[in-house]
Amino acid sequence: MFFLLLSFFSYGQKKVTVSGYVEDKKTGEKLLGVSIYSSTKAGNTTNEYGYYSLSLEEGKHTLYVSFIGYKTIEQEIVIKSNTIIDFKLEENSLILEEVVVNKSKGENKVRNVEMSVNTLKASTIKKLPAILGEPDVIKSIQLLPGVSSTNEASSGFNVRGGNADQNLILLDDATIYNASHLFGFFSVFNSDAIKDVKLYKGGIPSSFGGRLSSVLDVRQKEGNKKKFNGEAGIGLILSRVLVEGPIKKDSLGNGRGSYMFAGRRSYVDAFTFLDDEFKDNVLFFYDLNLKANYDLDKKNKLFLSGYFGRDRFELPKFLGTSWGNIVGTLRWTNSINENLFFQSSFIFSNYDYSLDNLRSGSEFQWNSNITNFNFKPKLTWYASSKATIKGGIDFTSYKFNPGEISSLNGSSIIAQKFQNNSALENGLYIDAEFDLTEKLNIQTGFRFSNFMRMGNENIRLYATGSPLTYDPIYGVYEENEVIGEKNYGSGSIIKQFNALEPRFSLRYLLSDQNSFKASYNRMYQYIHLVTNTTSPTPLDVWTPSGPYIRPQFADQVAVGYFSKIKEDKFDFSVEAYYKKLSNVTDFKDGADLLFREDVETQIIQGEGRAYGIEFLLNKNKGNLTGWLSYTISRSENRINGINNGEFYANNADQLHRLNLVGLLKTNTRWDFGGVFTFSTGRPVTYPTGRYEQNGLVVADYSNRNANRLPVYHRLDISATLNPKKDSNRTGKWIFSIANLYNRQNAASIFFREVSEVNGVETATGNTEATRLSFFGIVPSVTYEFKF
Amino acid sequence: MNFKYRKMENLKNMNKLIQQFVIMVFLLIGLTSCEEDVTSDISLNSVERLVIEGGIERNSGNSTQKIRLTKTLPFLTNSSNPFVSDATVTITDGTTTWNLIHTQNGFYETNSLLPQIGKTYTITIVWNNETYTGSDTLSEVPPFDNFYYEFEEETLFTDEGYFLKFDTTDPVGVENYYYYRVFKNNIFTIVPDPGNAETLIVSDKFFDGQQRVGINPNEEVSFVVGDLAKAQQLGISKKYYQFLFELFTQTGNQGISFIGNPPPATIKSNVVNITNPKNRILGYFYAVDVEEDSILIE
Repeated sequence: MFFLLLSFFSYGQKKVTVSGYVEDKKTGEKLLGVSIYSSTKAGNTTNEYGYYSLSLEEGKHTLYVSFIGYKTIEQEIVIKSNTIIDFKLEENSLILEEVVVNKSKGENKVRNVEMSVNTLKASTIKKLPAILGEPDVIKSIQLLPGVSSTNEASSGFNVRGGNADQNLILLDDATIYNASHLFGFFSVFNSDAIKDVKLYKGGIPSSFGGRLSSVLDVRQKEGNKKKFNGEAGIGLILSRVLVEGPIKKDSLGNGRGSYMFAGRRSYVDAFTFLDDEFKDNVLFFYDLNLKANYDLDKKNKLFLSGYFGRDRFELPKFLGTSWGNIVGTLRWTNSINENLFFQSSFIFSNYDYSLDNLRSGSEFQWNSNITNFNFKPKLTWYASSKATIKGGIDFTSYKFNPGEISSLNGSSIIAQKFQNNSALENGLYIDAEFDLTEKLNIQTGFRFSNFMRMGNENIRLYATGSPLTYDPIYGVYEENEVIGEKNYGSGSIIKQFNALEPRFSLRYLLSDQNSFKASYNRMYQYIHLVTNTTSPTPLDVWTPSGPYIRPQFADQVAVGYFSKIKEDKFDFSVEAYYKKLSNVTDFKDGADLLFREDVETQIIQGEGRAYGIEFLLNKNKGNLTGWLSYTISRSENRINGINNGEFYANNADQLHRLNLVGLLKTNTRWDFGGVFTFSTGRPVTYPTGRYEQNGLVVADYSNRNANRLPVYHRLDISATLNPKKDSNRTGKWIFSIANLYNRQNAASIFFREVSEVNGVETATGNTEATRLSFFGIVPSVTYEFKF
Repeated sequence: MNFKYRKMENLKNMNKLIQQFVIMVFLLIGLTSCEEDVTSDISLNSVERLVIEGGIERNSGNSTQKIRLTKTLPFLTNSSNPFVSDATVTITDGTTTWNLIHTQNGFYETNSLLPQIGKTYTITIVWNNETYTGSDTLSEVPPFDNFYYEFEEETLFTDEGYFLKFDTTDPVGVENYYYYRVFKNNIFTIVPDPGNAETLIVSDKFFDGQQRVGINPNEEVSFVVGDLAKAQQLGISKKYYQFLFELFTQTGNQGISFIGNPPPATIKSNVVNITNPKNRILGYFYAVDVEEDSILIE
């Protein structure tokens, strides 16, 4: 079929190609998603490296280059042969800066075939009020329709009712396995070092694979190509600094490349001396971000990016823990000719955690990590002004270390280790985007994915062939006996899975202002986060599919209507989706997952379904900008052995979720921001009875997640004091108050027996319900300046 | 040491440590995390169910074998569970059948049952025209090699005081599961605590055939001079161990759902309703072997 399409694209008149890069005039940073179109309506947008290619008929054309927040370039050209033209866009300081949601490709979300995609610029994220004054990527995307999280201290987020482990989080192409700092209050993304964030909730292109629910594509800043620049921020709990500048400047002052280096560190521990009880504690996290790029020549460019971050807590003679990600990406891009763009990335990614028992005499350290190497070549062919074709290969090699124990401080603990797991994940994909008619644009493709669980490993063999057998009479899963193990040598395949994942999107223009879109995608996920908590923790372990755990897969269909109102002053979209998930993992009742190797005896798999409608209204222009989003949705699982085998609300289920974001620019030095969030409480399981056993009060439960926490709502506000317009000072003050009206939102409500009478611990026979809320009103102040 | 398929012994109490730790971290970052009693704001649905507690105890120093039948109450009710006095209860070992007679407060007793090691005892309860049945197998328990007490200083988790200690040797080549009961002045004492799932019950996976020395049967129970301290080591079945593991995990839950505390689920009984399986019974009917000793703290 593709060959037919190709011949369709390439037939016809004499065409020539204009191609090149688009960059910011002031900083030299490449701009992605810039629209370039000619007076004849042929158009395209720059790719993630700022590269565009446009096929035009020979002759005279007027080219328009436009991007939000920049002055549009209008340039007349006469072309006779293939031409390279680079554009430099100038920031438009006259127009008040615009909030950009869902502006993934230039200005035209009505024309663009992409749906279920939201983009947030770092500059927008930095304007939103934030808890403890620290802008946060993961908290910000939760203001978008279809995105939620189970609580405020969750390092994960849920997209369209999916589990938190169903999101592929990429930082410059490298997978981030755990995006949390401080048990989830902050994410690992330093908003200073970030250029923008793109979230795919559906219609996911075939170049992405490996997770069911979403792709969060985070891109770091490239750095200023013209001059050295620095900025810093000092906040209540952490400070950050960023420097950037050109590499190898030429006589015109343009660098052959540029670098960006950013760091931040929390310093809560600096204050612990104030309290004797906390005096010797260690408590901090830090991040280092690096990006550099270098133009080898006109056609060849090199990019290097890296991230290193770590959390470290320690209570002396008691307990310590540490976790962090290390990722690195080396990329090479080559604009082979006017129509062909090649890119290739080598990626390393590692997540590890450790837990130290520091009680004297039995000191030990527990370590676990996941490492992957990744090689991703990709070729883009700008086949004609109406068609772009992309194809590529992903090779990933994983190594999982589920856990090992070693003695600390010479204690007598014997070193022990769980077996490593190894796996290879390969993807081959092709994707074509083309205008079938003036009104109908189609993007389609497929991904062929292959996953191989590899030796060297001893695989446990169970008496009945499977680790668990469901006993319908007692309603419990029985763990089957291990009757032996089979060794698979290094390089041999333990278990292999292959899958074809079709992807399809279409856009039909109803008018210049309105369009209809539809999409379908199938996704496969081969690695799973093993957790029995409602939200991921730093101590969760990723585990690969294999002989006992099957890959998860999902089919999603979405339709949407997109509209521009009053010349793009507003835009509006509504999308409906239905997702069917297979082999979703949940833990069996009473599962015990911490520190065990045979996780297959604790996990069960079943089906899931999620559906909903998302509304988004943006105000793009004027003094007041912002958006209103509303989502109505359901997300349910059905797994044999849970809830009598009937559908139950999963942890991400929320019927209503509403976000209102407003940013106000005034004529004074003050700017203001406000965010209001309202959502249905998340599902929980409340007891349906009490009884006594062994001297303790025990709770009985009926259906999983049959109850709801109270409604969640919260208002955060911020005020920014900018420097005087005519002064040289760059410093600005940002004041914010999170949870302005001090709502005690429930993170959990739990039920227990009162276990203390007059300071003496004992079973009392009395019961209580207790609500845990993470924070009330939190004021904060941050000072930012440039140097 | 075979540690492959099980949790590591060294990680005993880790759940509890982590929970306490997270609470401290929240305090440290100065977030005004707060716990509030909302008992009066919550209304709960409830389902009434039959509950069994008790079973057969060999060598407990008491020739009476008894079980108790009660009914559940809504969770936030502060009164004892109502008892059931109108059930018919029998126990059989496959050859002999004993009738248990209601005495008082829901207790059903027999004095003629002499428990034997290795026997499987099956209970049958008929109540409200529905029949419930379940069984457990009695496993032999090894004796205490030594039984003594020690004074211990205050730690992060325990107060200072006298604590019971014992040494015991696990039989080689047999799968053993233990449960420890502590009595203070002859009163059974237990505290709902996250550590119970790791201290009050234990499997011999890690110490098969070994002698264990200086074991504290319940770290939450301390004694003062003059107390009579008694402890029982029970030999229990694997099924009862699993039941108790879930029971102690849930009753020790401190409410921080993001560290290793599974969202709650009913703890399935070993007794089932064969007339109407959906009308579940709760609790456990056990058969255990008892090793008991006591000492006066001086």
